[in-house]
Amino acid sequence: MAEFNVRADEVNVEQIMHQIRARIREKRGVDYTEEQIQELAKIKLEKFLDPRGLRSDLLEQFQRAAAKDLPPTYEFDDQTLIRSGNPLVAFIRRLLQPVLKLFFSPNPLVQALHYQTQINRYLLERAARDVLVYEVMHNLVVEMTRTGIEVKNMTMRVESIAGRLDFNERRARALEAVVQYKPEGREEHGAPRGGRGFAAEGQGGRGFAAEGASRGDQAGRASGAEGQGGAPSPRGDQGPSAVDPVTGGESLRSRRRRRRRGRRSGPGFTGEGRETRDEGRGTDEGRRTGDEGRRRGDEARRTGDEARRTGNEGPGENVLEHRSRGDDQEQRPAEANGQVEAASERASQPDTPTEAPASEPDQS
Amino acid sequence: MKVAVVVQRYGADINGGAELHARYIAEHLARHTEVEVLTTCARDYVTWRNELPAGVEKIGGVTVRRFPVARARDVHDFGRRSTAVFTRTHSLSDELAWLESEGPTSHALVKHVASAADAYDWFVFFSYRYYHAFHGVRAAASRAVLVPTAERDAAIGLAIFPPIFRGVRALMFNSFEERAMIQHVAGAGDLPGVVVGVGSDIPARPEPDRFRQQSGITGPFAIYVGRIDENKGCKELFEYFRRYARTMPGGLQLVLVGTAILPVPADPRIRHLGFLSDTEKFDAMAAADVLIMPSYYESLSMVALEAWGMGKPVLANGRCDVLKGQCLRSNAGLYYESYAEFADALYSIASSASLSQGLGRNGRAYFERHYAWPVIERKYLDVFSQLSARGASAAPAVEPLPGFFARRARTVPAAEDVLGRVPAGAVRP
Repeated sequence: MAEFNVRADEVNVEQIMHQIRARIREKRGVDYTEEQIQELAKIKLEKFLDPRGLRSDLLEQFQRAAAKDLPPTYEFDDQTLIRSGNPLVAFIRRLLQPVLKLFFSPNPLVQALHYQTQINRYLLERAARDVLVYEVMHNLVVEMTRTGIEVKNMTMRVESIAGRLDFNERRARALEAVVQYKPEGREEHGAPRGGRGFAAEGQGGRGFAAEGASRGDQAGRASGAEGQGGAPSPRGDQGPSAVDPVTGGESLRSRRRRRRRGRRSGPGFTGEGRETRDEGRGTDEGRRTGDEGRRRGDEARRTGDEARRTGNEGPGENVLEHRSRGDDQEQRPAEANGQVEAASERASQPDTPTEAPASEPDQS
Repeated sequence: MKVAVVVQRYGADINGGAELHARYIAEHLARHTEVEVLTTCARDYVTWRNELPAGVEKIGGVTVRRFPVARARDVHDFGRRSTAVFTRTHSLSDELAWLESEGPTSHALVKHVASAADAYDWFVFFSYRYYHAFHGVRAAASRAVLVPTAERDAAIGLAIFPPIFRGVRALMFNSFEERAMIQHVAGAGDLPGVVVGVGSDIPARPEPDRFRQQSGITGPFAIYVGRIDENKGCKELFEYFRRYARTMPGGLQLVLVGTAILPVPADPRIRHLGFLSDTEKFDAMAAADVLIMPSYYESLSMVALEAWGMGKPVLANGRCDVLKGQCLRSNAGLYYESYAEFADALYSIASSASLSQGLGRNGRAYFERHYAWPVIERKYLDVFSQLSARGASAAPAVEPLPGFFARRARTVPAAEDVLGRVPAGAVRP
């Protein structure tokens, strides 16, 4: 959701509403206009939420109607023409029937009318059934429409959730990077490890240590990887714990260790690290230790070069591996820094509702 | 100068919109001139039963003269007649019968207006749609000033009212939208009148902390002040806010102030505090982050004006032309016409302090420019003095009602059809 940052004399409500509506249109898509959604929602409400509009016993009625005999429109048989309520009249008619037959034959007429009554009855039954069939079809059509809207709705929700998931993942990564760093800094300050170049920085000035660490982090790690190429591989230490059991990636511990290594050797080789150390007002001992670190780094590089040249596994392989990891690390903080900024910016705000509200079509 | 304020109900404990408006105007005009209130003995606006004693009393330093209502309203009869005149072609006679049925039918009040017309310089009639205003204006047209308090409902489409709008000396409109609507139905391009509205006595130093302590409400919240009624859009507000709350856990709460006619949903994010005194109400508004006005029909939202007066942003229902127009003209409130807009606008105000403060500052400036009491009082007094300067000869006469047969001719279109032809929309600044 766009952030409004305005001065009082700049607030233009019409413009803000225009922006809000544009955002909503963008999220909702252009398949349905507001009026169309309202219309569709009305159908759903009328037919599915109003109990009077929905016949819950429809199937039962359908079956009952199929089995039930509708009252005949009229009956016509061979006695219909001469039947009478008066027995005397009925007798005379029956008596004169043979005389009547001298004039015309009533049988085909009686038969035709009899068939007609049956046809009428069938048509009535059919008509009654058609009403039910029509109702079933109508409900099906409405239900299909509703389902269509639901599908659309769910699709948008899935997109929304996917977006949120992606955002959360990125935020988690960014926050993870922040969390990793902080205890490290305290550890460094609290228990400086002598002789690896950064002890002086740690002791020299706490106020700058964090800054130095964060600024020198990238360069320090890259050069540290290079510098430690020949150093004994810490692989054996990592063992199974190097893999995070949850994510399957590197564990926090291994990352910390690698960063620590990078930092120990880093400042000894990079201008930025040196600057940090100077800012930290390191002691002579620290400087000496830094020199010692540089010397060891040179040795390690030589050993690494040697290993590469000879194609030996072990140190040589470690060089490559560390270098590639160093590259990886070099990119990650840069990415993480951006994410941290974004994450901290977002974390200070409540979750945006833009995804969720827009994911549901308005049913008001 | 002596002014009579004529209104359907009046009292310190009567808080209907038009009635409160009338009381404020009467009390503030009383600082400049002699004011007398002419009203009925009714307290309940549904039945108009005589509950208060007839006669003269003083309320807030203003003389109030009460007249009895001849008969209470028959709700079923009124409903039936309303359906007839609003939805079907009918006659003028039907409309007059509707007006009688609506009430408050106080013949004594109208008789007093007619007989004592010379005792007052001006009659300020409130609410065009009631019996007292229709017959009162006819009884004293040459001294009648009308505050229509018209909303966009079907009553404005009835044929008996345009002659009233054309016949009064001046109209005091609440908003530009109301003026446009009345000018359209009256068929007169330029009715004499002015857009005034009403002010509010906002405390100089409300105490939001006191409210938070008393109510136990912590964290940010949106506030609704008014009758909690479906007609006021509260049902839609509840639906929208609950949806919003589901998508925004830990965000704004909704605090409701006012008498509940509609059941308030049981939701941990919705708090109903019931009716509060003015002091408590202003404390609550000062503590709120935003005021929500969900009403569809308003001639003027005093609560919204009060919120602006206190520098609070407003989120209004954009389907109400008046509220939308005020938001646009003041640049002090956002509006919504669907849930998505509601959620986005509410989130924008809640999450952006600069936007919220900007809207609030604009609102305060808008209130002070147009709705501060000195401004309102001055507008009324100016209108009176201008009308006095023109003299009674300039007074338009109210057109007489048609004859016996013409009155019964069923040729008057349904009021809803007339309303449908009235142009809608906010009046742009």
